[in-house]
Amino acid sequence: MIFDLETFDTDQSATGSICIVGAGPAGITLALELAGKGIDVVLLESGGESFEAETQSLYDGEVVGDLNTDVASSRLREFGGTSQHWTGLCAPLQPIDFEKRPGVAHSGWPISRVDLDPYYPIAQKYLQLGPFDYDFANWKESLPDPALPLDPGLVGNAIYQQSPPTRFYDVYFDTVKANERIRCYLHANLIDIALADDAVRRCTFSTLGGRKLTVEATHYVIACGGIENARILLNCNTQRPDGIGNENGLVGRYYMDHLNCEVGEILFADGDVDLGLYADFHDVDDTLVSVGLKLPAQTMRDQDLLNNTAFLVPAYENEAFSDDFRNHGWLGFSNIVKAFAQGRVPDRFAENFCNAAEDADDVAIGIYRHLVRKIEDTGQVVSATMRQDAEQSPNPASRVMLTDETDPFGWRRIALDWQIARSDLESLRRTHELIGQAIGAAGLGRVRLGITDPPDLDIVYTGYHHMGTTRMSADPAKGVVDADCRLHSVKNLYMGGSSVFTTAGTANPTLTITALAARLADHLAKVSTAGLAPVRRG
Amino acid sequence: MGKITRRVALGIAGLAGLGIVVYGGALVACRFVPRKRPDFFALLDAVPDIPAARRIGRAVVLSGHAPSDLKDLADRIAGREHIRTALSTGCPTTRKRLVQAQCGADFSEGRMVSVDGWLLSETEADFCAAAWLARGYTA
Repeated sequence: MIFDLETFDTDQSATGSICIVGAGPAGITLALELAGKGIDVVLLESGGESFEAETQSLYDGEVVGDLNTDVASSRLREFGGTSQHWTGLCAPLQPIDFEKRPGVAHSGWPISRVDLDPYYPIAQKYLQLGPFDYDFANWKESLPDPALPLDPGLVGNAIYQQSPPTRFYDVYFDTVKANERIRCYLHANLIDIALADDAVRRCTFSTLGGRKLTVEATHYVIACGGIENARILLNCNTQRPDGIGNENGLVGRYYMDHLNCEVGEILFADGDVDLGLYADFHDVDDTLVSVGLKLPAQTMRDQDLLNNTAFLVPAYENEAFSDDFRNHGWLGFSNIVKAFAQGRVPDRFAENFCNAAEDADDVAIGIYRHLVRKIEDTGQVVSATMRQDAEQSPNPASRVMLTDETDPFGWRRIALDWQIARSDLESLRRTHELIGQAIGAAGLGRVRLGITDPPDLDIVYTGYHHMGTTRMSADPAKGVVDADCRLHSVKNLYMGGSSVFTTAGTANPTLTITALAARLADHLAKVSTAGLAPVRRG
Repeated sequence: MGKITRRVALGIAGLAGLGIVVYGGALVACRFVPRKRPDFFALLDAVPDIPAARRIGRAVVLSGHAPSDLKDLADRIAGREHIRTALSTGCPTTRKRLVQAQCGADFSEGRMVSVDGWLLSETEADFCAAAWLARGYTA
């Protein structure tokens, strides 16, 4: 059932076994999984059914660290959350990502990949992906093009799957609406978490117009994204002056993003080299897969390297196959065209239209090239660049913090101080060296490194993946939540989403966010009938 | 000027033919004669005298990746397995293939040099350096 809090004439109250704050991929998955187990859920969403500028502006904040990022428009505050504009690339975290790696400070989750393995197949279904199989060996016979003949001891191939991408509003709104176990309130902004005896007793929500809703539940989950999760805990400081769960000053710290960059170039000895495997998505039995280059896990362990998958972006003789026209203008244009093709008015039409209008020359080039591609051949491969969302190491100085500016509810806004370590890029450069070694050993060509010594941090852009701000650790002195995603210092408060990531890996996070939500549903189903867990404060 | 008689013409042609046969036979025979000095400089033909190769050669020498003494550098290059084989063959195609094999082996074993960001095998970097030195270029 879905209600709009704005439509009520009086303040409301609701009860349920589980209260979930945030209707994005984590919150919706969790709600549906719990409802499927016969558990009553109250699901609260700040936004409405689609983009609303006034609600979205609650995300406004400052960027004070690395400037190649954003806090206001990368996230979406509406039913479906940021899934309403994600790109859909998926892969699970690898076993090495969970390990304590001697060369990666602050690494080591309190769970392993084995703990998530039962939940990834569930997440695959929510994200409309194919089978939970990311082993290249199992796919290669079905793929239309051959892999580069690289020494597998030096460089291997990594499989990614492509979600449609799943828009959680489009796919699950009606499902949530029809589910009698779920009471979902739209336009319900969290404004207070009341504690008693180290447990949450109630949460209070409000519309921008002032209509209130009080929710009492046995357990509470905050699933509002990697930045907002920290902001909520830090703002709830009436009973705990430093914020809930922040007894050790960890909330908001260890902020991580993926290091999005297209650097490094491969020049091939033979222009007829077949890069088809790496250049396109491949439809294998209705599953879209793409392939990138990845170092063996043992090499990463031996050389203390962070994780990375390098996707090859070929440059062809025929310039029509260059994608250098893709910018905000082209994306705006393509959003408009796709929406009209689906028979609906595009979200944020004015914004998309203006972006397209201001970049009319690039839009024209893009249209022309798409037409030319249908009748002309690519010509020979000239070179290929390496595009990646590389892993960043956890760093306590990289953080989300509160500013003195407040939103309409009196909550302090955030400042994002994203810090990238030089060693992160040095690790990526070494990874590229090893790829260059494999390319050279195979006689395929030569690699030109794109990362200087010392590295230029300006080559890195955000991957729009906000992680780590309520990190998971078995030790309350080193993490905000425990292995069950529960705050160490609150008996019945859990965090959902990528804020619990201890390390970032290189995989796009949504699949793991969804798998963690499915795992949390199992845990909450078990504990919802048991007593509350004790607290630990480190 | 005396008249060239038929006999003289036949004699000249015979001598020329004999000379060609002797010279050709000698070349064939030379293939089987062990050389005391490797024909190192023939390998430098693999390095074109173009700005990119000169730039690499200069950078490799000046950075200290390669010795600035041509003899020392030649000895270092000649010490590599596939290059040793290349030095004992006269076929340019085979030589080129062997140089490429040595470059591949360098990469496999992690013997790489970075020049302006380009990852090169030590052998190709050394060849560029040797060509740069042998052609008399200076910094």
